[in-house]
Amino acid sequence: MPALYIMIPVALLIVAVAIYIFFWAVDSGQYDDLDGPAHSILFDDQDPGHKAGVDEASGKETSAVKKDSAT
Amino acid sequence: MKATEGITLRPCYHCTLPVPPGGRFVASVLGEAREFCCPGCQAVAHAIVAGDLESYYLHRSEASVNPQVLPSPSADEQALFDRPDVQAPFVRHDTPSGDVAGDVAETTLMIEGITCAACGWLIERHLRMLPAVVEARLNLSNHRLHLRWHDQPLPLSEVLSELRGIGYAAHPYQADAATERLALENRRSLRQLGVAGLLWFQAMMATMATWPEFNIDLSPEMHTILRWVAMFLTTPIVFYSCAPFFKGALRDLHARHLTMDVSVSLAIGAAYVAGLWTAVTGVGELYFDAVGMFALFLLSGRYLERRARERTRLATEQLVNLLPASCLRLDADGQTERVLTDQLRVHDHVLVHPGAMLPADGRIIAGRSSIDESLLTGEYLPQPRQVGDAVTAGTANSESVLTVEVLALGADTRLSAVVRLLDRAQSEKPPLAQMADRAAQWFLLISLVLAACVGVVWWQLDAGRAFWIVLAMLVATCPCALSLATPTALTAATGTLHRLGLLLTRGHVLEGLNRIDTVIFDKTGTLTEGRLTLRAVRSLGALSSDDCLSLAAALESRSEHPIARAFGKTPLTAERVVATPGLGLEGEVNGRLLRIGQPGFVCALSGVAVPSMPEEPGQWLLLGDDTQALAWLVLDDRLRDDAAGLVTACKQRGWQTLLLSGDSSPMVSIVATQLQIDDARGSLRPDDKLAILQGLRAEGRTLLVIGDGVNDVPMLAAADISIAMGSATDLAKTSADAVLLSNRLHVLVDAFGLARRTRRIILENLAWAGLYNGLVLPFAALGWVTPLWAAAGMSVSSLVVVLNALRLTRMKPISAESMAARQTVTP
Repeated sequence: MPALYIMIPVALLIVAVAIYIFFWAVDSGQYDDLDGPAHSILFDDQDPGHKAGVDEASGKETSAVKKDSAT
Repeated sequence: MKATEGITLRPCYHCTLPVPPGGRFVASVLGEAREFCCPGCQAVAHAIVAGDLESYYLHRSEASVNPQVLPSPSADEQALFDRPDVQAPFVRHDTPSGDVAGDVAETTLMIEGITCAACGWLIERHLRMLPAVVEARLNLSNHRLHLRWHDQPLPLSEVLSELRGIGYAAHPYQADAATERLALENRRSLRQLGVAGLLWFQAMMATMATWPEFNIDLSPEMHTILRWVAMFLTTPIVFYSCAPFFKGALRDLHARHLTMDVSVSLAIGAAYVAGLWTAVTGVGELYFDAVGMFALFLLSGRYLERRARERTRLATEQLVNLLPASCLRLDADGQTERVLTDQLRVHDHVLVHPGAMLPADGRIIAGRSSIDESLLTGEYLPQPRQVGDAVTAGTANSESVLTVEVLALGADTRLSAVVRLLDRAQSEKPPLAQMADRAAQWFLLISLVLAACVGVVWWQLDAGRAFWIVLAMLVATCPCALSLATPTALTAATGTLHRLGLLLTRGHVLEGLNRIDTVIFDKTGTLTEGRLTLRAVRSLGALSSDDCLSLAAALESRSEHPIARAFGKTPLTAERVVATPGLGLEGEVNGRLLRIGQPGFVCALSGVAVPSMPEEPGQWLLLGDDTQALAWLVLDDRLRDDAAGLVTACKQRGWQTLLLSGDSSPMVSIVATQLQIDDARGSLRPDDKLAILQGLRAEGRTLLVIGDGVNDVPMLAAADISIAMGSATDLAKTSADAVLLSNRLHVLVDAFGLARRTRRIILENLAWAGLYNGLVLPFAALGWVTPLWAAAGMSVSSLVVVLNALRLTRMKPISAESMAARQTVTP
């Protein structure tokens, strides 16, 4: 039980921080367009930066396979 | 005799319009040679490939817009946007300190031509590749592009041409006060929802910890602490998140209405006050988590509803630009100067080039041309006009240069008269009462009366328990599920329709569609394509019809007349082409002197007698050279492929169909007969159409109007439900209740079906919510409902309602054409 004397204030603090972050996110317009980001993530496969990252992570062979399947 | 009918045309790779026979617009996209319908599409595809963005074609889910459909401002008109006085209202400059590149400009542009998410990717990616662009962010739900860039190396006009290059048109966007206020309200309601959610989770844990069901060995001090913590967490929910309910309830009580807000406020207020009492004294039930749950469920219902309305409203909200932004003014020496339309004065002389729009009402003082008035009057053929004739602002000059003396500007033009008619019609629009509101009102009245009765009875039996039992009843019967029943169903259905290509801009459409008994169609641009197409070529013997078509296309390719576009492209080129307005064209192709146009004009060249004109409706043109007449060509405004299906679907539902058109040609009755429309009337002015509509309404009919032109606008505004075509004028789109973005009429058939299903699901939801509340009422009245049971019941009933509504998102297009249309798009 004594743990609660610490956990309750911690929980309240976390809620306060969460609300602060949420307000910041709303005010910076992150919720204004709920359609675009959902789709844009799908196009990342074509992003050269993303491709380079994938290549680096999984070796060169996979990129060759990817290219074949894309064309 | 051979006709071009029956030739299957391949779709253009970019815009899926048919590729004309013998097309030679080819570009390599994604490693394959693709065919295009016109140099416009080909150029756009080239630009996209050159920018290494061709995977756009892999990802798009809808066909692109043909660039010829988009408004194309001339170079000096675009250059106007670089003038500081023109820019001032919508471009902001700030000079960040320490930035080497200097001045950064910031603006918001409204983008036209976006059909799917891949367009957003293409636009952002293309702009970000330009070195001068700092930031480009497109909001897909309202098609606004937020742009920050260095405008010394790259003026705004060049940004606009870059966008044109990849097939999109952009206009500067200025938010009006109402839009800004709405955006603020949206953010506030999202914050209220978030606060309710985050705090409720914590309040619920604190509250539930005090329940003996979960916690047997809770010390009294800890019990007190948890009660106070729950109170501390719930207070912001009540005073911040629930403020709209209390405000709404006060407003409705003032207006002597019993609404959901009243009952919600009562339940939340009573539960909170009871919670306060319990928290302080430690006696009674703790209802704080019920307060939080109410707030969260009700606020999410409202937020969903708002979001559905908002998404659609924003997408259609554009600058209503019916008039060109600028025009060419002639000064006393006959020099032209490009000025903003606002700067025009009455009696100024303006020069209107072919293809340009008239900036003001006026009289022709020099030149002779034909004017395309289709959007204003519904006439599908351009009308010949000459010196002394009156011309109207908002119509397009289609043949040759005109000099016009300005006689009326701005609010005095015929166009504004139509807009004023719109305002009047809108104010007279009948409100369609909402089913759920009526249901809720009755339900509320009954449960409040019952709660009062039960309270009185318990007061007699056991005064100490009376308050808690009435509170339990209020909480148990608080119409959480009831309030979610409609918004969730409407949101799901609206989303599904949006995917199909129908955008609902006002909330009553889905419900109202079930009460329609009469449909009014406009002709030009609605049931028909709204542009002239070549229907047949009848050779008179000397040459094959394909050769005749090539010759005609070569001649017409030099003309700005809307007819010219119908002929497609040809490898032949014509020289020394001279247009005689109202009669036709003359020119030389491969050394052969040719004329095309009115039969008399054409035969005058060779001196032969005019051959007899085929007895079929349409616009017949003759092609001839200096020795003989070669071929008849017929043009008309083709019916949309799915028009017949739509009319049939309407008739199957037992609706009366009516065609009201501004067109005075016999095409009106021909179209009506072809589609078996019950009644058709032509040559109607906008106020005639409105009068007919009001007459029908006086007979007690509920009307659906489908239209596209400015002449339909008053009718669209006054109808019970109105749908504008996606290709309609901005004004028509903003005054309609729904916009058919895809321009595919069969989507409407799907929408009718979906409206019916939505109504059924709303009824199911209402029935379920009512059943739950009805079942729990006796138990609450007997005092058996503890906070735990109230919470569980509420969650389950709300969840059932939401899941039921989600069934509406699983919608397969009914009509086979839509599947086919989808397949042609996918590369």
